[in-house]
Amino acid sequence: MGALALKTSKERVQQEEAHLDLSQYLTFQLCGETFAIGILAIKEILEYMPMTQVPMMPDFVRGVMNLRGAVVPVIDLSLRFGKGETTVRRRTCVVIIEIEHDDQQQYFGVLVDAVHEVLAIADGDIVPAPQFGNHIRSDFIAGMAKVQNRFVVLLDLSRALSVEEMAQLAMLDETALDVAESAAEEHVSH
Amino acid sequence: MSEYDSALPAFLDEAHELLAAMESILMDVQGQQPDSEQLNAMFRAMHTIKGSSGLFGLDAIVRFTHEAENVLDALRAGELSFDDELNTLLLRCHDHVKAMLQELDHPDVLASMAAPPLIDELKAYFRQQTSGDISPLAASATEAPAAAEQSWLISLRFGREVLADGMDPLSFVRYLAESGELGGLQTISTQLPGGDAFDPEQCYLRFELVYHSAMPLAKLNDVFEFVRESSQIHIFPLATAGRYLATVTQGQDEAEQQAVAAAWQQLGVVIEAEAEVVTEAAAVEAVAPLASNLQFAQAAKQASGAVARKTEHKETKTTETRFIKVEASKLDNLINLIGELVIAGAAANLIARRSGQSAQIESTATIATLIEQIRAGTLSMRMVQIGEIFSRFPRVVRDVSKELGKSIELHISGAETELDKSMVEKLGDPLMHIVRNAIDHGIESVETRLAAGKSATGNVWLNAYHESGSIVIEVADDGGGLRKDKIVAKAVANGLISADAMLSDNEIYKLIFEPGFSTAEQISNISGRGVGMDVVKRGLEALRGTIDIDSAVGEGTNFRIRLPLTLAIIDGFLVQIGKSTFVIPLEVVVECIEVPDDLKSDGTHSHLNLRGEVLPVLNLSEFLELGEPPGKRQNVVVVNYGESKAGLLVDNLLGEFQTVIKPLGQLFSHLRAISGSTILGSGEVALILDVPALIEFAKQKEVADFAGQTEQGRAQLH
Repeated sequence: MGALALKTSKERVQQEEAHLDLSQYLTFQLCGETFAIGILAIKEILEYMPMTQVPMMPDFVRGVMNLRGAVVPVIDLSLRFGKGETTVRRRTCVVIIEIEHDDQQQYFGVLVDAVHEVLAIADGDIVPAPQFGNHIRSDFIAGMAKVQNRFVVLLDLSRALSVEEMAQLAMLDETALDVAESAAEEHVSH
Repeated sequence: MSEYDSALPAFLDEAHELLAAMESILMDVQGQQPDSEQLNAMFRAMHTIKGSSGLFGLDAIVRFTHEAENVLDALRAGELSFDDELNTLLLRCHDHVKAMLQELDHPDVLASMAAPPLIDELKAYFRQQTSGDISPLAASATEAPAAAEQSWLISLRFGREVLADGMDPLSFVRYLAESGELGGLQTISTQLPGGDAFDPEQCYLRFELVYHSAMPLAKLNDVFEFVRESSQIHIFPLATAGRYLATVTQGQDEAEQQAVAAAWQQLGVVIEAEAEVVTEAAAVEAVAPLASNLQFAQAAKQASGAVARKTEHKETKTTETRFIKVEASKLDNLINLIGELVIAGAAANLIARRSGQSAQIESTATIATLIEQIRAGTLSMRMVQIGEIFSRFPRVVRDVSKELGKSIELHISGAETELDKSMVEKLGDPLMHIVRNAIDHGIESVETRLAAGKSATGNVWLNAYHESGSIVIEVADDGGGLRKDKIVAKAVANGLISADAMLSDNEIYKLIFEPGFSTAEQISNISGRGVGMDVVKRGLEALRGTIDIDSAVGEGTNFRIRLPLTLAIIDGFLVQIGKSTFVIPLEVVVECIEVPDDLKSDGTHSHLNLRGEVLPVLNLSEFLELGEPPGKRQNVVVVNYGESKAGLLVDNLLGEFQTVIKPLGQLFSHLRAISGSTILGSGEVALILDVPALIEFAKQKEVADFAGQTEQGRAQLH
């Protein structure tokens, strides 16, 4: 019932904003670039704290953390985008995001370099991502928003944090590791 | 509609409970007469389900339960006697209602289930028993056109507000006249005020009427459905109506009472002494023996219905003081919160100890003990008696043994043993398979038993008890026992083991849990397809349980299932590897030893000498690729997996810790070596190692590594 009520209130917000053609987005810094995500998916923003590393998982899964009793996986988006590992600094934050998967709410933590501000962006100011020339996989991009004559990348979190894809990657990682090892061994033997 | 939707689960819960009660009564009374309390309870079950289904508009269920209710009613009235045939019929009714409840989402299916052949059987049985009489059941319950015309006395005292509510009292009378014949109508206007007090928007009139119609009582009652709440509507069979005058006029002023009495006399009702209706219960007693014709049966039904409601009310009251129904999610939330409280408490404790103020340390210690008690108390709330699952087995044993033509007695003990509610739900299927298997394969046919010098009746025992932090459930039979030679032969034929494999008894017995394994020569529809035992194994593994088998040829078999008390909590053993903390389930830990100097290490795999035994040792830090340098003083935790032992190399031993298991979520579902996580006192997350899976994984990896090495060697030779 709670989830239902939440949804309707969310929908109401969405409707109201659709009326004004304005949606709110949080902008943040990640591997030197500015990205934005819709605030409706954001549950909270936390200061970085040490987390528990989970063995045998791909690099971009930084570990799991305790969110008031729930165990939440934390994803390093920079590594997920195929860039370098995020180094923890004073302004590093964990953005807790709620994603619906198989009709279940799932929480993820996303490691970002810094959180900027919440912007209201009109739908008219959002254009589709260009075919190429993006710094990250184009299917992770929901669109490009024009903010003060700059373009900010709007992330499609349901793709970037797709549970299926990440679990598959983790599984591949495991087998790939074995294959790589045996390949390496073979290489040595020749 | 949404209110109804949210009430539906409650209805289902209630219905299932009532059905379970009915079933247990039917199983209890086998071969004897049920007492009135039991009959009432069964009637109430059907009656309540009928009533609630009506609320949800589930007409099919209403129609079916109505029939069952009628039979139970007649039984209660003493018109029917209880025998085995009826017991079986009622059990089938129970099954049918249960099946209907399963189909709530499929209205078409449900509708088609409203009048199964079972109803005809019920009716046929009824007719045969009540020999020849026009059966009250047939006339009142079905809308058969042959139903005899009956005479009713209808007393309508409409509420003042009916006109304002949009109801015209006259239209009810007109409607009645359409489907029957009005034998007479008296209007009582004693309540009509004079002068200014008269409000033309209010209804002051009362009608008493005699009505002849073939309409059954239920339908007649339905006519007044909309005004029932605000009005006083009474319908009686004309012949006996006289005794209810007091009921009808209860609480009304004298002028009206006299007017009604006069009206009834005018209508030809013989008014009996008012003392007659002292209590409703007395009325039932007075009427029941006479209830051979329709009118009396109806009267009895009405009166006893009222009594049933009364007792029902009383009973819910008494159970309310003993049990409170709580939504499971609320309890889960509470348990989560208490988990948090434990963590916060531990943190406060730590700070207090650091501060060194004895008063503060003392007060946090008191709080810690209280929190511990609260946690234990909350967790015990999730505990239910295992009798909840055991209680369905008498029925299973009865049905299956009947079907197989075997005579089997079931002995249940330890039903009061408690375990976690979520376990109880998941334990049902595996246990069912084992019990069915014991009946089908375990217990021999009567001839074989007699030839072997055993009693003709086979025995199956179900027993449960607590033993060192886990619950043990035993399913035993005194049947033929497991034939080792047969199992081995079959396993060899199926390619599960090689012909020269040396196996212990226990290992041989465990082969029956392999998929596709069945030693039964003939497949019966109860078991023998070789799927059952496989399901058992998987079901129990999911519950972190183990199963052992004892068997002696010719004497019987004993399945011993050992399960943790709860899924939510484990006793863990904390170890540290580098900076990470891991939890090893305490039940697999045998001992801890310091790393001896002679540990031969070649990286991940090694072994050491444990009092003359070879103990393979797994270096967790390297195996899990934690990338931490080894600590100065390492330790080996000796763990048990299945029948073998292994050592896990860790840096530090942190001791025992009772922990709440938190699932890791789908992202980590493929991780074989890690079964979950838990939150430590410091708020940190620690991962729980799944030892058997970890070692299995290590074995696979080693095999793969050596295969790689062999190829490597081969390559070098070339």
